[in-house]
Amino acid sequence: MLTRRATLAVVPAGLAAPALFAARADAQARYPVQTVTLVTHSSPGGGSDVFLRELIRHLQPVMGVNFAVENVRGGSGATAVARVARSRPDGGMFYATTPTYIQTTLLSRPEFGYDSLDPLSVVFLDPEVVYTRKESPFNTLGEAMAAARANPGRQKWGAANPASLERIALERLNRLTGARAAVVPHEGGGDLMINVLNGTLDLGIGEVQEIRAQLDAGRVKLLGVLTEDRLSDFPDLGTAREQGIDLVVTKFRGLAGPKGMPDEIAAQWASALATVLDSPAYKAVYTKESLVPTPRLLPRPAARAFTTEVAADIGTSLRELGVAR
Amino acid sequence: MAGLLSGDGLVTILFATAGCLWGILGGALPGISPSIAMALLLPFTYGMEPIPAIVLLASVYVGAEYGGSIPAILIRTPGTNASAATTLDGYEMARQGKGGEALGISLVSGLVGGLFGLVVLVLATEPLARLALAFTPAAYFALAVLGLSVIASLSGKSLMKGLVAAALGLMIATVGTDPVSGVPRFTFESAELLGGIRPILVMVGLFAVAEMLVQIGEPPWAKAEAGDTRLELPGLAMMRRLLPAQAIGCGIGTFEGVTPGAGGTIAAFMAYNEARRWSRNKDAFGKGAPEGVAAPEAANNVVTATALVPLLSLGIPGSNSAAILLGGFMVHGLTPGPLLFERAPEVVWGLYGGLLAANIAMLLLGLVILTPALWLVNRPKPYLLAAILCLIVSGVFAIEQSLFDVALVLGFGVLGYLLRLAEVPVLPLVLGVVLGFMLESNYRRSLVISGGDHAVFVEDPIALTLLALAAALTAYSLWSEFRRKA
Repeated sequence: MLTRRATLAVVPAGLAAPALFAARADAQARYPVQTVTLVTHSSPGGGSDVFLRELIRHLQPVMGVNFAVENVRGGSGATAVARVARSRPDGGMFYATTPTYIQTTLLSRPEFGYDSLDPLSVVFLDPEVVYTRKESPFNTLGEAMAAARANPGRQKWGAANPASLERIALERLNRLTGARAAVVPHEGGGDLMINVLNGTLDLGIGEVQEIRAQLDAGRVKLLGVLTEDRLSDFPDLGTAREQGIDLVVTKFRGLAGPKGMPDEIAAQWASALATVLDSPAYKAVYTKESLVPTPRLLPRPAARAFTTEVAADIGTSLRELGVAR
Repeated sequence: MAGLLSGDGLVTILFATAGCLWGILGGALPGISPSIAMALLLPFTYGMEPIPAIVLLASVYVGAEYGGSIPAILIRTPGTNASAATTLDGYEMARQGKGGEALGISLVSGLVGGLFGLVVLVLATEPLARLALAFTPAAYFALAVLGLSVIASLSGKSLMKGLVAAALGLMIATVGTDPVSGVPRFTFESAELLGGIRPILVMVGLFAVAEMLVQIGEPPWAKAEAGDTRLELPGLAMMRRLLPAQAIGCGIGTFEGVTPGAGGTIAAFMAYNEARRWSRNKDAFGKGAPEGVAAPEAANNVVTATALVPLLSLGIPGSNSAAILLGGFMVHGLTPGPLLFERAPEVVWGLYGGLLAANIAMLLLGLVILTPALWLVNRPKPYLLAAILCLIVSGVFAIEQSLFDVALVLGFGVLGYLLRLAEVPVLPLVLGVVLGFMLESNYRRSLVISGGDHAVFVEDPIALTLLALAAALTAYSLWSEFRRKA
């Protein structure tokens, strides 16, 4: 109980931007509940937690309701999913989705899996980058892969966690290039960074945010980004596809609710999120974190189709790794 | 200390004191680890200025590492992982009616450790960060082996039983996601076990719950004399006697704090072991030796400062607590790492100042809190035991609102009780749980990197040194053990 109460951060309605609030009240029907609880499996200060707290700061004046962030840890996300799946579908509670909730479902058999929630919106993609230390002879992903092809079985690549999208990506890279590189999983980004910096590994893969400190200090350099398009804050960084490697990693952040929620509520969210993504203040925040907005995936039907597709993809990959049945 | 001298100095001191108090209380509650105590406060720091926010969080860490030793000494229940080593002699002292003296020694040793760590942090961050970077997976494996080398001296009467316990601990550490392949192991398709069994749950069960079960079966303990329930700070002669033990604690704490992933628990166990090894009266250890309290307490408080070295200089959190602190930095738009010292020197110096204030606050708060804590444990036994059990269950439940965790703790309590009946020492088991994952993951990671060639462990100079040290220490322990018996 202690944890739950202490980690509630309520943003009172009507504190900021009254003008925006008035405009919304005219344009849309009133939201059915007073307080919306957003549940995350991440601990305070963790990835999804920071994402939610930043989001509600900008979403609150647009939707005109109170928001609370609730950190429900445990069970690698399954506890949080169960909490939201059991809640009433009245728009009062949502879960902050990341690929983790799909992986946990596939790796264990929780009572409530990712498919017991209904995806509401997909808001951002988290771009994955391939990087190495500044002393490395490689300057692009293409160069690194050429060296790996030329010396099969000699390269060492690092990913943050054993059952992660990043590790799947490196295994695919192995298959695409025939490099037979050793793929070394770690216990989080810190471990991985040490082994990239001290030269134990030839390259690492991760989110831009995780390596920002070393990047700014010039101790690591980016080799390529695993997205469809180049990033707006790193316009000179080529995508893997441009460098002749057909690899795209889809790591997403979004919201999902309990099943049976009316379409009107979903539509209200889609329009409110679209407004927020366009606002310059929020844009400044998410651009700084290298998040790629996905306005196309805000409407519920698109988010559902996207989630189904990604889940199938993750399922295939985990089975290929021999991790899930 | 520029941060303290500025106009905001008073605010910094205030937040350092508040954080320290919260930390002591959180640390003293079984189940609330330092990182959880910090996480509970984190949301409140979002609206604060960066320096007070970060000082508040760092002070919680300082306070919690000390607070954990209060129940460790008084009721044989380590409040934090790192205070497990303190139960050995601390609880023995309390049973001999020297609880107040033990608490005083732990407080002063904690202060010595905290201040020493701070000096190291301020003066030697740059060279120590280079040491942290030089640690490859092979070196981490060797570090874990070195940690396990203390099993022999934690085993008490029977080395065989100690080894059995350690093996049990290592087995418990294999539950969860496989560190290399990612395959779920021994999870029985339960999402609760995907992340493994957290050491804190094992410890609370083995120490606290098991102790309750033992106490329930025994007649009420003799009431301590009124004089025993007063806190007693060590005098000059005692301080001189404790100095070598504290110095050992400081040295080991610095090393373990700087290397990410090792942390206070291993530091405390190793410090205890080394203090015993180099002591003139080895046989007093385990029977209420003041040095057995001083060494681990100094070590785990040094870690509160030196664990910040890799965080501040490299942006790499070495422990759960450091990860929460990293979250605190990020919320305020600060990225710890090589550029922090250039971009936000005022935050770094503010943090140093805050840590100094927190350590001094710890001494004052400790003096105030210990007397009521001593009074509390002198209440009638049935009430006390019932209250402690409630505290344990609610504390464990509060961590993740998980009844599964509560069941685990109670299960480990029964296991601990049975081990006590069989006279199997539990400390090697705890050490196995704490070190198992580090040992296995780094061993296997090294082999993935080397393509299966074990030469990687002798080619890395740090790994070779640590392994040689572990072999030498084990040989020495065994030799002196046999010589004593012969």
